[in-house]
Amino acid sequence: MTRLFIILSIVFAVFGLVFTILPMGTIALVPIALALTFAFIAILRQREKLFPKILLLIIFLNLLTVIGKEVFVKDVVEDDKQFESVKDQSEQEAQKELEELENL
Amino acid sequence: MLKKKFFTLLFLVVIFTLQAQIKSGESLVFAGSYEMRGLMTNIAQVTMKTATMQTSKSSYLHLSLEMATFSKWDNYFKIRDIYESFVNPATLKPALYKRNIFEGGYTKSEKYTFGANGTVKSVSKRKNRAEVQNSFKIGPSTIDVVTLIYKLRATNFAAMKPGQTVALTLVFDEKQLPVSFKYIGKETVAAGNLGKKECYKLSVTANTNKLKGKDKNLIYLTADAKKIPTLIKFSIPVGVGQLTLTSATGI
Repeated sequence: MTRLFIILSIVFAVFGLVFTILPMGTIALVPIALALTFAFIAILRQREKLFPKILLLIIFLNLLTVIGKEVFVKDVVEDDKQFESVKDQSEQEAQKELEELENL
Repeated sequence: MLKKKFFTLLFLVVIFTLQAQIKSGESLVFAGSYEMRGLMTNIAQVTMKTATMQTSKSSYLHLSLEMATFSKWDNYFKIRDIYESFVNPATLKPALYKRNIFEGGYTKSEKYTFGANGTVKSVSKRKNRAEVQNSFKIGPSTIDVVTLIYKLRATNFAAMKPGQTVALTLVFDEKQLPVSFKYIGKETVAAGNLGKKECYKLSVTANTNKLKGKDKNLIYLTADAKKIPTLIKFSIPVGVGQLTLTSATGI
């Protein structure tokens, strides 16, 4: 049974890690919370084993990473020169098109 | 005679109201988020701007709506969309509408020129496809999707009772679509740098399968003369999301 909790904890920890790498924001907290719960149960069941403790530590570090990303990394839009040039070109074209419309 | 005077006065009030509400140089920035597993995740930034476009004969109000994904999403699904409309500053009647979208590698550009007799000439181009030119008729009050937002802001909600609706018709993808906005009441919502604001709460309904649920598509406009959109909630077939005002300048 303890092995099942460890396996479940590993599976959710992997999901948590993937969601942390991907820009999923706080969604990563869902698998991390589950992974933490299963790791904690595994520790309670087998206090003498080292692996569940290491697993819990890794998941906890993952949790800190997610919280750190949410607190310190701001949502920004990249300075996109190509997009800026598309907008400028569109505006110039619009001016010509409006002039043409007025002369119809 | 009195009737004529009344209508002239009414006309001037409407013109004055429109001009007073939609100012050139306005910039509204929204954070666009999408619900994933019950949690809202910020995806993109939406910017609504107004500017003056001067030609040799006329002056237009340039209304633009830009959508750009936050840099963290650019490697997975980059979006760079721009919707523009060039309208008469007094009546908000569109003369030219442009749409240029880039969504995860898919591109589409579209242009409508609005003729005087209700004829719209369209030019569209999709990725890896030839340019398509078309011409179609629209109603005298039909407007494009960008102008729709500003037209809505020019509506006098103070005189409306909960349950009353505002009906507008928009043209999108060369089709006319009647849209109605039901006034629900007032609610206080967070409005970015404006703080907490009392807002008019409106429910959007349209005869389209792109909007889901009853009173799930909502627009909140500040309950003042400026009627700044502060919160837009949408429910579409692939999920729910919202646009939250983060910054309003030049208002």
